[in-house]
Amino acid sequence: MAEAPAQAVGRMRLVESLVLGAAALALTAGVGAVLLLLGGYDPMAAAAAMVRGAFGSWTAFTSITLVRSVPLILTGLAVAFAFRAGVWNIGAEGQLYAGALAAVWVGLQAATLPPLLLLPLVLSASLVAGGLWALVPTLMRLRLGVGEVITTILMNFVGIYLAAYMVHGPLQERRGVFPQTDALPEAGRLPALLPGTALHWGFALSLLLAGALAVALRYSRFGFQLRAVGASPEAASVAGRIDVGRILFVAFLGSGAIAGMAGGVQVSGVTFALYEDLSPGWGYTAIAVALLAGLNPAGVVVTGVLFGALQAGAGAMQRDAGIPASWVGVVEALVILAVLCLDRVRRRVGKEAS
Amino acid sequence: MTSALVRLEGIERRFGAVMALSGADLALRPGEVHGVLGANGAGKSTLFNVLGGLLRPDAGRIEVGGKAVILASPRDAWSHGIGLVHQHFTLVPRLTVLENLALGTRGPGGRPGAVRDAALEVIGRTGLSVPLDEAVEELGVGDRQRVEILKALLRDPRILVLDEPTAVLTPAEAAGLFDLLRDLAGDGRAVALVAHKVDEVLEVSDRLTVLRDGTSVLTCSREETSEAEIVRAMVGDDDVDAAALGLGDRAGPRGVVGQHESRIVAELVGVRVAGRGGSGLDGVDISVRAGEIVGVAGVDGNGQRELAAVLAGRLAPESGTARLPEAVGFISQDRSREGLVADFDLTENVALAFQRKAGFRSGSWLRWEALEGAAEEIRRRHDVQAPSVRTLASSLSGGNQQRVIVGRELEMAGDLLVAENPTRGLDIAAAAFVHEELQRLASDGVAVVLISTDLDEVLTLSHRIMAIARGGLREVEEAHRTRQGVGSLMLGTDDRNG
Amino acid sequence: MQWSIAKAFPGTVLCLAVVLSACAGDGSDPAEDTLQAALLTSGPVSDAGWYAGAYEGLLLIEDSLGAQVSHQQTATPAEFDEAFLAYGSSGYDLIFAHGFEYQDAAIRAGSRFPDATIVVSGGGRVADNVVPLIFRLEEGSYLAGMAAGTLTQAGIVGMVGGVAIPPARGTFVAFEAGVRAVNPDIEVLETFTGDWNDVSAAKEAAVAQLSRGADVIIHNLDAASFGVFQAVREAVADGRRVRAIGMNSDQNDVAPDVIIGSAVIYIPQAFLETARRWEAGNVGGEPIYASIREGVIDFVFNPELLGELPEGLVQEIADARDQIRSGELEVPRVRFVEGDDDPPSGGSE
Repeated sequence: MAEAPAQAVGRMRLVESLVLGAAALALTAGVGAVLLLLGGYDPMAAAAAMVRGAFGSWTAFTSITLVRSVPLILTGLAVAFAFRAGVWNIGAEGQLYAGALAAVWVGLQAATLPPLLLLPLVLSASLVAGGLWALVPTLMRLRLGVGEVITTILMNFVGIYLAAYMVHGPLQERRGVFPQTDALPEAGRLPALLPGTALHWGFALSLLLAGALAVALRYSRFGFQLRAVGASPEAASVAGRIDVGRILFVAFLGSGAIAGMAGGVQVSGVTFALYEDLSPGWGYTAIAVALLAGLNPAGVVVTGVLFGALQAGAGAMQRDAGIPASWVGVVEALVILAVLCLDRVRRRVGKEAS
Repeated sequence: MTSALVRLEGIERRFGAVMALSGADLALRPGEVHGVLGANGAGKSTLFNVLGGLLRPDAGRIEVGGKAVILASPRDAWSHGIGLVHQHFTLVPRLTVLENLALGTRGPGGRPGAVRDAALEVIGRTGLSVPLDEAVEELGVGDRQRVEILKALLRDPRILVLDEPTAVLTPAEAAGLFDLLRDLAGDGRAVALVAHKVDEVLEVSDRLTVLRDGTSVLTCSREETSEAEIVRAMVGDDDVDAAALGLGDRAGPRGVVGQHESRIVAELVGVRVAGRGGSGLDGVDISVRAGEIVGVAGVDGNGQRELAAVLAGRLAPESGTARLPEAVGFISQDRSREGLVADFDLTENVALAFQRKAGFRSGSWLRWEALEGAAEEIRRRHDVQAPSVRTLASSLSGGNQQRVIVGRELEMAGDLLVAENPTRGLDIAAAAFVHEELQRLASDGVAVVLISTDLDEVLTLSHRIMAIARGGLREVEEAHRTRQGVGSLMLGTDDRNG
Repeated sequence: MQWSIAKAFPGTVLCLAVVLSACAGDGSDPAEDTLQAALLTSGPVSDAGWYAGAYEGLLLIEDSLGAQVSHQQTATPAEFDEAFLAYGSSGYDLIFAHGFEYQDAAIRAGSRFPDATIVVSGGGRVADNVVPLIFRLEEGSYLAGMAAGTLTQAGIVGMVGGVAIPPARGTFVAFEAGVRAVNPDIEVLETFTGDWNDVSAAKEAAVAQLSRGADVIIHNLDAASFGVFQAVREAVADGRRVRAIGMNSDQNDVAPDVIIGSAVIYIPQAFLETARRWEAGNVGGEPIYASIREGVIDFVFNPELLGELPEGLVQEIADARDQIRSGELEVPRVRFVEGDDDPPSGGSE
């Protein structure tokens, strides 16, 4: 939590971060360009499309980049929150599906309620469902000592297949034709945050949540206890006289609830109905988002937007530069690898310096 | 002196900004037991790791048998005949002794038959007796230590280096170990004993080297030196008063200074708990009065951890009653795991305990300015060597970590402080600081329970002494207040009804 | 404390800004009168089937009409809106969304971009500028069923599908009808794996049907069809006499040793035809149907295996094709488009 206030240090960090940022881009660009050339594509056109697709216009930035970042930020926060407590919740994906399912179900059941009631109800349902989805692995860890890495992964499959079953069966649209639910009524949808864009209030919600978590982890007693448990459960228990089990319980369920809300926000802000392939694996990408952010809530916002921009740019690479999805996937993975490598280098440099 | 088996010259090694070794020299001759002494943070462990190929020096020269070598890995060290016995056990608890020995010698594919023959041969030669087919987790610490040594000896090293081997041993076991080391040296090996207890090293060594701040400051034979000179070399203060460091009059009983009249602060009656890895508690009675230090002496694994946990209010008795005060200070023997969070800075480590105290929180929020002030106060008052309260605990030496913990737990102790091996692994100055603080606390009217495997410490500090053996606790009568008397009770050899 | 990319981010953003300004001004607008056509698929266009056909159609539109074209493969429903938004705001005139899954997002995009026309392959919802393109693949599938019914020696044939959506179920209903038209006693097995592109799931399903005795297997899959062909090939290698039937595009040369024929949609022609109709102002408000009559649907035998066909089969199929074209023979179907006769309640299994 300590900050070195000396200006010289601050300037050094800025220079260092500039150099590393440039190096990250150069490295990625270099390797990406070689790969694209090998595939017979124009790397300059690809880069231009990527940047334009992510930041090239107000519409691209708000309606695509930021919209894409919302589920990444929310699941990233869920993962960061759990990891800070030493809970290895790999189950954000399943919790997200549970949240989306509950949000749609409640939204359709209570479709006649006014927006002031229905929207909070829909989002709360996703929170509760995500938390409940985490309850099974939580109890298995705390009561039976079963490692949560495996149980949360398994619960992901249950969540994904449950959603698939529901859209084919009980929650299928009334016409019974396509595997999807009916759309949420207007009252259950998140309104636009910026008029004329697709950016919905979920983005503001994720910023608020990140801020709240950052403050709570840093200044609140509970947040401190959670960090202590994550850093050393033994010391938290012995020196801190902290009820470690209680902290783990709250952290695990809280993480599940946040991931669940990511699902709720996605259906109520973007898709309005539940589909089988709602998530392209946000719950897993979230782990990279959270780790890259140093498990820091404010950092998660930054890395979430970064990943959102990357995905938005990837779409534009297909549309505008005619590069097939599989090549785009490779470039996307390259960027993540380069960023991870440089992050690691940076940490080492930082350690030596301090 | 070409006769040295291994010679280290001008070894330097830094970790970030810290120079752990800055010009350390060490020469081990065949046939000698060589003591390597130093306060905590003096560089002993680093030197040990350099010898074992676990750390590569930044500068300096290592010779084995007169030829310069590079020890880049433990395998290199082995191939040059250097065997290590670590302070921390490196055994797999679930496996038997023999399986552990096989792991140590041939890797996973070792043939137990051949290993058994080799082990029996070494046991026959050295008298190191260990039950080969017992699972290591069933063994006491003394036995485990012997397994570690046996493991090292199986490779027939010409140079044997032991890091703090007596930390977990009873006086009798330590004496047995020293005899063994002398025998091993008698066979023409060089034996190096890394330790911080001056009297032990003097007892067994032919020659010794003292490290201070990463440099060898004294190398001489035992006859040429005195305890006082060694202590001065270790501490680096010519005016050091040996008595103030707790070296004088070790076994002198402090006696009971009228505390019998004061109120009982904590009391356990007939407390039983199941053991966690050692004995549990088997019907323990103890009462502690305000202002007295009650010493609990015993060999590790006889129920001390459970006793400490019950007294600290962290473990409920399965039967019997525990009457404890509201606020109990607790100094865990496991500094780095239980006492501190390594990745937290000093303020956060103080906050770890203080987050429970009134005045350091308002509602759900912590009052960080107040906590930082408290940490600053602890740092200043207890002379913690750290640049600021924002220094990470992991970058402090063991002694300074303990100063933080002691400072914090003194504040946490309302009526009772439980200290569990509070000076284990500390240098003399740091240990003396801990002792002074415990005494000062008692004279301020706080009850102190000092649970320790260090008999000298218990004898020196305690108003009353109890011996713990196999989960049972017995008061040591005034007449038995000697190393031998308490030692025999610790081993449980004395008839319990006698 | 933790060092992280978050702290390096200001630098990264600055560098990005530099790159960005270098790239700015690169977005050249096409001439006003050029047709801009886009294609969205939710699978790879390398599937030699459903998506590949659409992509060929897009390229055909580029070649034949001089259009400027673009393609994006989307992964999740969230990306549908985004892709429509990107194309819509870039002024694309005609957007082919190649799958029913796009229909809700297409309706939303249609009202946001009234100047764009969205064609949803297999879709079920209609608006002024959002129209379903319905392939009457069941007509080709019926002919395939007749061929399978004639060819089977075991009296058991199989069908392996992806997601059990109405257009897919429709092809199987018609296939079954074609089989029974030859011999009402033939047993017809049906499996939906739930995934168009899961090759191993498709292979498992085919293996299961083969082990139950089926000796002719048809599929309605995308990339996963390779799994079906592989299963059939392996059965042939084991000495069994079994055959596969291709679907969606002419797959005869995908596995010419085992595929007896394919029920095909000439998707490229359908796309080109649709683009021509759009240019003539004839697209909007109602579904576009593509059937044997328009020459978009057919069943074609694999020329390499013609020799093993029983005598007269080719002629029988040709006769049935003529009857369908003339309306004399009506192939059973599953209705699913809004306003297309009656709701789809019981039309299927």
